[in-house]
Amino acid sequence: MEQIPQIPKEKFRLIHDENNKDQEKIGTPSLTYMQDVRRRLFKDKVAVVCLALISIIVVISILAPIIAPHNPNAQQVTMSNLPPKLGNLNIPGMNGYQNMGGHMVDAYKQADAPKGTFYILGTDYLGRDLLSRIIYGTRLSLVVAVLATLVDLLIGVPYGIVSGWKGGKTDTFMQRIVEIVSSIPNLIVVILMMIILKPGLTSIVIAIAITGWVTMARLVRAQTFQLKEQEYILAARTLGEPSMKIATKHLIPNLSSTIIIQTMFTIPNAIFFEAFLSFIGIGIPAPNASLGTLLSDGQKAFRFLPYQMWAPAIILSVIMIATNLLGDGLRDAFDPQSSEN
Amino acid sequence: MKSKKYLLALLPIFLFVLVLSGCGSATEKDSKNTLAINSGDVIATMDSSMNTDAIGAQHLTNTMEGLYRYDGKDLKPAIAKKVVKPTNGGKTYTFDLRHTQWSNGKPVTANDFVYAWRRTVDPKTASQYAYIYSGIKNADKINAGKKPVNTLGIKALGKYKLEVTLENAIPYFNTLMASSTFYPQYKPAVEKAGKQYGLSSTGMVFNGPFKLVNWNVSKNSWTEVKNNKYWNAKSVKLKTLKYYVVKDANTGLNLYDANRINRYEKLGGDTARQVSSYKTFSMDKQTANFYLELNQKKYKFFRNAKIRQAISMSINREQLTNNVLGKTGGIEHTIVPVGMSYNPTTKVDFTKEKMLQSSNQYTEYNPKEATKLWKEGIKETGQKNLSFTLLGDDTDNSKKQNEYLQGEMEKNLPGIKITLSNVPFKSRLDKSTSGNFDIVVTGWNADYPDPVTFLDIFTTGNVQNNGKYSNAQYDALINKSKTTDATNEEARWQDLLQATKILTDEQGAIPLYQSYQANLTRSNVKGYQITPNGSYNLVTAYKK
Amino acid sequence: MAKYILKRILYLFLTLFIIATITFFMMKMLPGTPFSNQNRMSAEQLKIVKAQYGLDQSVFVQYIRYIGGLLQGNLGTSFQFNNEPVTALIGQRLAPSMQIGAQAMVVGTIGGILLGALAAIRKNTWVDTLATFISILGLSIPSFVLAVLLQFYLAYKWKIYPVALWDNFQSSILPTLALSALPLGTVARFMRTEMVDVMSSDYIELAKSKGNSSWGVVAKHALRNSLIPVVTIIGPMAVSVMTGSMVVENIFSIPGIGEQFVKSITTNDYPTIMGLTIFYSFLLIIVYLIVDILYGLIDPRIRLGNGGKE
Repeated sequence: MEQIPQIPKEKFRLIHDENNKDQEKIGTPSLTYMQDVRRRLFKDKVAVVCLALISIIVVISILAPIIAPHNPNAQQVTMSNLPPKLGNLNIPGMNGYQNMGGHMVDAYKQADAPKGTFYILGTDYLGRDLLSRIIYGTRLSLVVAVLATLVDLLIGVPYGIVSGWKGGKTDTFMQRIVEIVSSIPNLIVVILMMIILKPGLTSIVIAIAITGWVTMARLVRAQTFQLKEQEYILAARTLGEPSMKIATKHLIPNLSSTIIIQTMFTIPNAIFFEAFLSFIGIGIPAPNASLGTLLSDGQKAFRFLPYQMWAPAIILSVIMIATNLLGDGLRDAFDPQSSEN
Repeated sequence: MKSKKYLLALLPIFLFVLVLSGCGSATEKDSKNTLAINSGDVIATMDSSMNTDAIGAQHLTNTMEGLYRYDGKDLKPAIAKKVVKPTNGGKTYTFDLRHTQWSNGKPVTANDFVYAWRRTVDPKTASQYAYIYSGIKNADKINAGKKPVNTLGIKALGKYKLEVTLENAIPYFNTLMASSTFYPQYKPAVEKAGKQYGLSSTGMVFNGPFKLVNWNVSKNSWTEVKNNKYWNAKSVKLKTLKYYVVKDANTGLNLYDANRINRYEKLGGDTARQVSSYKTFSMDKQTANFYLELNQKKYKFFRNAKIRQAISMSINREQLTNNVLGKTGGIEHTIVPVGMSYNPTTKVDFTKEKMLQSSNQYTEYNPKEATKLWKEGIKETGQKNLSFTLLGDDTDNSKKQNEYLQGEMEKNLPGIKITLSNVPFKSRLDKSTSGNFDIVVTGWNADYPDPVTFLDIFTTGNVQNNGKYSNAQYDALINKSKTTDATNEEARWQDLLQATKILTDEQGAIPLYQSYQANLTRSNVKGYQITPNGSYNLVTAYKK
Repeated sequence: MAKYILKRILYLFLTLFIIATITFFMMKMLPGTPFSNQNRMSAEQLKIVKAQYGLDQSVFVQYIRYIGGLLQGNLGTSFQFNNEPVTALIGQRLAPSMQIGAQAMVVGTIGGILLGALAAIRKNTWVDTLATFISILGLSIPSFVLAVLLQFYLAYKWKIYPVALWDNFQSSILPTLALSALPLGTVARFMRTEMVDVMSSDYIELAKSKGNSSWGVVAKHALRNSLIPVVTIIGPMAVSVMTGSMVVENIFSIPGIGEQFVKSITTNDYPTIMGLTIFYSFLLIIVYLIVDILYGLIDPRIRLGNGGKE
């Protein structure tokens, strides 16, 4: 038997040791999903500005007792309905003058306000400082919104996923419940709450909770339906992944855009619903203010004291626009598909 | 990219169409013959037996005619030929009737009155105002189902002669005869409509200055046209009345400024305050008021007069009426409103009588005294819990006023904690009559222009006495005014004054303010006057 | 499909029955009576009135009677307007509410789709920014504030539209606009989001690469596929338009059912509240049914017949 010549070991050498070293190397630091989200979010300038705005509003709300210049519920009836005035700076619209029967009148002088008295955003019908009321009102409205959103997420998301994922009889049954709940006008539920509980924050949050999660559940269910027909889910199922893992690993990240958008709608919805209740007279009880009660009071006085409506309306709009735009930013950041657009 | 252009073009077109559709909606021409007025709400019923509210009363006054009609402050004969003097010790009234017609040409007879009155008192009709017939012979017994309807003290002595018998003399009986609850009804119309009578103008006949046309209870605008069959049609100058239900203050003002309505009635306090400098602004004193009742059954604490006085003196009524209510309320020191009843001999206003002036101190703002009395009262009763709920209506005015009261009491009465509960009118009534409250703001509209309509409430056992105030001397005086002194005007007057003094000194009910009605009326609208029973008499109204 | 719809209609009645039951017992828990002068009425009168409304019977008997009446389309009689049937009350006030509701839905949906589609096509341009701003503003202003602003500027100041009242088509424009802001904002935002997703999807790229014109792609694929989420929010949107109509009807003095509903609550008119609740619910369920059917028509991937099960 002829011997196969042995090739000496030294002759072997890894060929691409030097030149192709970088081929397998990951150039940028490895990012987790959340890190990636954060990176994309901070690249979005609009979202950053909105985040900053919301943070400021939240901080002001939390620090309301320190920041508010007056006690929001302290009445000083002789100083009622004074227009905005900022120090002695003569800024039009902020100089304490008011149109009365066609003439501009110094309302502060008319009310015999002591020298140096001024209210930056004016006062309301009981002479309470509007700025302080708005700060406290924003605080209350945010509390309503946050609580309502939490309930929305805690009930609505799991409900929608289970319903959409299980399908069949479970889905039918769960959809019947959704249908019944969403078929009763919210107002009825609220009125019932107002009888069982005392009118106030708790009853409003419970009322929004009972009616609010339904939209989230419906949307999540619809999306889940679409998702579960997708190939990657099918693959995961075929590979025998447990449902729970599919839900957290595949469904929730892909549902995130729907969930976040809906959450960003829940916040204004909650604030709106509270405002609606205030308008028909069953909102946050007096003397406490919310953006809703301030708006509804301001609306009634709009013809003569427009500032009483504009001020809370602008704050409300700023909160709405900021939450919505931040929602957009978050969605883009969360959704791996949209990162390229 | 064609698609973008299409889509871009669509949006302005969409907006353009919207704007275009608005053109040509010029303000309506103002006609001399038509008066347009806002209404606070829809008409709930046009059945004079069933009506319970001021709106219904106004439209019954517009379209129907009773024995008398108020012309301004004066009671004038209408279907009755003259304002009758009673006989038989004030117990019998005999009316001679004018020959008048219903709008279908049929005569209005004494029997139409008999029919209407019996129908109202009949328990089967379930009229919520049947109690006003109390005092007419057998009315209470019939209403309780203990006597047949035909035993009611009203009789047709002929086609145009009517006799009414009372159980005992009622000094203010004549004023009642101008109220819509005592109007006649046309039997065939009522019977044909059955239970639906008064819910729609179809099939209704009228005998008043105007006729409702094309109306039903769900309409929130309606028209009333001149009734040519009205006995006094020659005095009626307007041809058409238009009513629109307006609930929003901005809308009301905008409609008034656009002259879609010629008169904007019942302004809220906030609006009234802003437009009070307008030349067209006017104010009507009403025979109605608001007062606080303290639940004396639930809390021994509130049975202490010092506590009640303290609460009363902690409230600055001047600020309340001027700044909070925008003068849609006037200060009142007694439970009897100003400008309703006058001394039979001297003609002095009831509330301006000398005897009552010393009691005014209990309704004057005096925070120091209030704090002092409050502390003394707490010591005397040993009350620990000072948290109370203030029950009130959920109207804008009421909410603001209650917020103010809350602030004032918490400022001037050490330790008190007030929670507000503003509920719909009917819920408030239900809660206050069932004693389910701590402090309640109650409103009362005079049923007839006499102090008794208010003073009666605070007698022991009266169903309207929500606070359960009780004072034997007070009860005795009111009773005396109705029995031994009923026909003696001067003695009766003194009884009522003394009773009022007791009530005010003890603050059995805490008067807050008298309701004023604020209105804007175009300067060409004339002769539009309020009457003592709260309705307007539109016979005299006209436009220049 | 027909079998499915039939099944849904059956469920519809079941749902209505459950709602009627819940509402009935809720109403029985509410305080207050329908009679404003109850304490001034004699015992005899009260007995007669209660018998008239069937309130003298046990709650269970009242319930059976109510459901029985419901089956015959009878919603009882109103407390507020003595002896007026609730069905008549709703019937007389239905038209204005339906008109402004439908107009607002149409204006809101079409406007929203246009606005959203525009924003998506012109993504990241000033058109997009403006459209986004408008749609968010629509979501940010409560209808009662918007109503006041529209009335003040468009009617009072510039005199383009009537201030209020219910006379003709023109009087319906301001309420329609006030009501359509919310659906407009909602639809526009959903539309944009979906459309952006769809536009970047493979099948659109494929369609484009196959040489389809851009307009065709947008119309045939992008628009159709983006409409799916829009359809799902029509149901909740209808609710918001309906509840919104209560305040808008109040402000513009429109004789609609929303205004009636608020009033029934303040006057303890239980039969009317119950009747309107059932009526509103009926409308909503119908809307949901239509939405689900549309959903199946638009997206063939969703099979309705078996609830989406394989």
